[in-house]
Amino acid sequence: MIRFLVKRIALLIPVVFGIITATFLLMHATPGDPALTYLGNHPTPAAIAALHHQWGLDKPIINQYFDFIGGLFTGDLGSSLFYNETILKLIALKLPPTLMLMLMGSLFGVIFALPLAIWTAIRKDKFIDHLVSLMNAVILGMPIFFIGAMGILFFALKIPIFPVGGYGESNLQHLWSLVLPSITIGLGLVPLLVRSLRTSVIESLDSEYVAFARSKGLKNRAVWLKYALRNGSISGISILGIQVGYLAGGSLVIENVFAIPGMGSFLMSGILNRDFPVVQGATLTFAMLVVLVYLMTDVAYALLDPRARFK
Amino acid sequence: MKNLTKKSIAGLFAISLVTSLNFMIPTTSSATGTPVKGGDLVVVRGDIETSLVPSIPPDNASIWVLEEIFDTLLFPAQDGKSLLPGLATKWSQSKDGLSWTFNLRPGVKFSSGKAMTSKDVKFSIEENTKGSNWGFLNANISKIATPDANTVVISTKAPYSPLPSAIATFANAVVPYNYGGVTKEQFGKHPVGTGPFKLSKWTLGQEIKLVKNPYYWEAGKPYLNSVTFKLVSDSNTRANQLAGNQAQINEFPPFSSIKTLKGQSKITVSAFASSATNFLVLNNSKAPFNDPHARKALAYLVDKKAINSAVLFGAGTPAGAFMWPAGWAHNASIKGRSYDEAKAKAELAQSSTPNGFSANIMIPSGNVDQNSMAQILQAAAAKIGITLTIQQLDPSAWNDARANKSFDICYTLVTTDMMDPDEIINVDAVYNGGAFSLFTYYDNADVAAWAAKAVTFQDQAKRKALYDKIQVQVEEDAPLVPLYYAPVVYSYSKKVQNFHTYVTGNYNLRNVWLSK
Repeated sequence: MIRFLVKRIALLIPVVFGIITATFLLMHATPGDPALTYLGNHPTPAAIAALHHQWGLDKPIINQYFDFIGGLFTGDLGSSLFYNETILKLIALKLPPTLMLMLMGSLFGVIFALPLAIWTAIRKDKFIDHLVSLMNAVILGMPIFFIGAMGILFFALKIPIFPVGGYGESNLQHLWSLVLPSITIGLGLVPLLVRSLRTSVIESLDSEYVAFARSKGLKNRAVWLKYALRNGSISGISILGIQVGYLAGGSLVIENVFAIPGMGSFLMSGILNRDFPVVQGATLTFAMLVVLVYLMTDVAYALLDPRARFK
Repeated sequence: MKNLTKKSIAGLFAISLVTSLNFMIPTTSSATGTPVKGGDLVVVRGDIETSLVPSIPPDNASIWVLEEIFDTLLFPAQDGKSLLPGLATKWSQSKDGLSWTFNLRPGVKFSSGKAMTSKDVKFSIEENTKGSNWGFLNANISKIATPDANTVVISTKAPYSPLPSAIATFANAVVPYNYGGVTKEQFGKHPVGTGPFKLSKWTLGQEIKLVKNPYYWEAGKPYLNSVTFKLVSDSNTRANQLAGNQAQINEFPPFSSIKTLKGQSKITVSAFASSATNFLVLNNSKAPFNDPHARKALAYLVDKKAINSAVLFGAGTPAGAFMWPAGWAHNASIKGRSYDEAKAKAELAQSSTPNGFSANIMIPSGNVDQNSMAQILQAAAAKIGITLTIQQLDPSAWNDARANKSFDICYTLVTTDMMDPDEIINVDAVYNGGAFSLFTYYDNADVAAWAAKAVTFQDQAKRKALYDKIQVQVEEDAPLVPLYYAPVVYSYSKKVQNFHTYVTGNYNLRNVWLSK
């Protein structure tokens, strides 16, 4: 298992490195000078030059790149051009809401999808199976911000259970204000999760090892937990892992709809203002996050299916 | 950019003479009932604050917050037509016009409890002069003297009438001498001013909470215990938070939502007069718009009424002269070119491209308003053989193209930062005025000379005559097309009393209170 982990991590390092290099080059190759954005209608040449010098943008691009990479090894991601604050501090501020949103969103996705998948697997081709299929199609067809807006309308304005938006002050308020956005994100995950889980549970139930387990006289509960669900969930975990990209993108949209001060708005404002250190820092964080989730998916996969460890 | 503006100079001179009005302070007259003390106000807005050091921020979001923490020597009057005493109670210009004396208000303290003196004022103004962002406001200052703790004498290189307006601008707000012994960066995180509020907590990119300054010099003010500015990027979410009473003031609801908002019983929607003027900017430095006839042909194709309906839902006013109408320098006799296909054809026929031309309209991606305006113009231009292509660029790339002259047509909104017209005359019409004649790259030596001459006159009527002349010349040369004068719109809870913005866009929350 350790060898497996080492191998996986070694493979991921060049991926992260590639992503941050590509981001650096793309950001600098795209037209757009942060000094011009910063100065608005007063871009005197002297003011532009002063800002370029202050931000180190007057150095050759290759030096800027090596400064950036060198900084990575010492844990220094630089400072935001616009906010006069270190990127590490800003990420420490912005990452927790986004991480919580992604985690709670996944959790709600699983909570909704699991019973539905089992139910539809048992009642294959019956009314409920068709109804859930229809519901999945409707959810898939709806943009996530629309689901969020409807959630606000019904559960924050008409029936004021949840806050309209924002992140609250205390930890409890943070959690409470994330419930509605997380449900929104979770709902977006449901269609794919239900479909994949349902199919693999049906396959498991039809398999020879389940028939064998039943023939040994195992109780229904044991058959479900040890065989049908364990094997069936492998595909679900893969789907959930792959969906981390959706979660990151979805959280960006949902953060906007629910006014959650997370990585999404941080990255967007960085891109629009050409705040290079912000974009680099935020992309690095997202890249690490995605890579980490892929790693966790692989590990979970390997734990559930020993064959994966020997491939 | 922040704005202080309006017909100030008549007022300006009146004020420098009528010093008996010393203890007037800007107040509003629209209060309903007796002000109630206490309460926490939440303002939701779409922009992020970047800095709370007066001489630094280029963005309104920061400026309007820091104005609640820091006071200036003078304040703009609510109508933006004159200046009123602030931290200075009297001010006057010397006979030779080369210096201004400001008498400071006695007994003013910073939120730290320390007394404010002329040493603090001198330091603050000099800090701004050194800065690259707003130093241009002080470019005419040659020396600042402090004969005693309550007097500041500012000398200028030549007679400079707009000085009191420049001093009334946020960037010249008073900070403690040497930032109270900390670095500028540290001061930005823990600002200390003489304003009605002081910083309580700032979570970057999320919210800023201000609380009452116990040492505030104006007795009984402010009424509110605290004001929190929260970043809510999405305009629908801002409207929802106001409806759900999570916020009491919603900054800039879209014009399209005004009708719906007005239907809500607990909400007031106000459109306040502002200096905001929107322009169609033509790149005069290259073909086809280096030809005045081509520029005028296009100007006649702009349907200002249609734009006002499509973009502002009728809330704006089709523009005439390029100076905003509420300011004293506005030339009301200029009505601007109205949509007229025949005149457009006639101008085109006289141009170097009589059979028409092709050009790009550059708009920032995702800007729905500019897209609408561009489509209206595109359709009108096609009728006389002008092919316009709409090109969407992301906002930073758009800024780059504008600064590098690599565009044909774009839209730009301008607001003034100081009450005096000098800033906008220079920004919009003078090549070396800071923005290359609002990025038209229009360069008229006469206009530049008149603008430079105007500021030396102490008599406002003389200045006005020159500004009128500049506006007539610019109208004739048509380097840009003034499209509309826009109000600023706020929606807020009916409990919010006395809220308004100045013509320059900023607001003054010292007078705001919340009814029960």
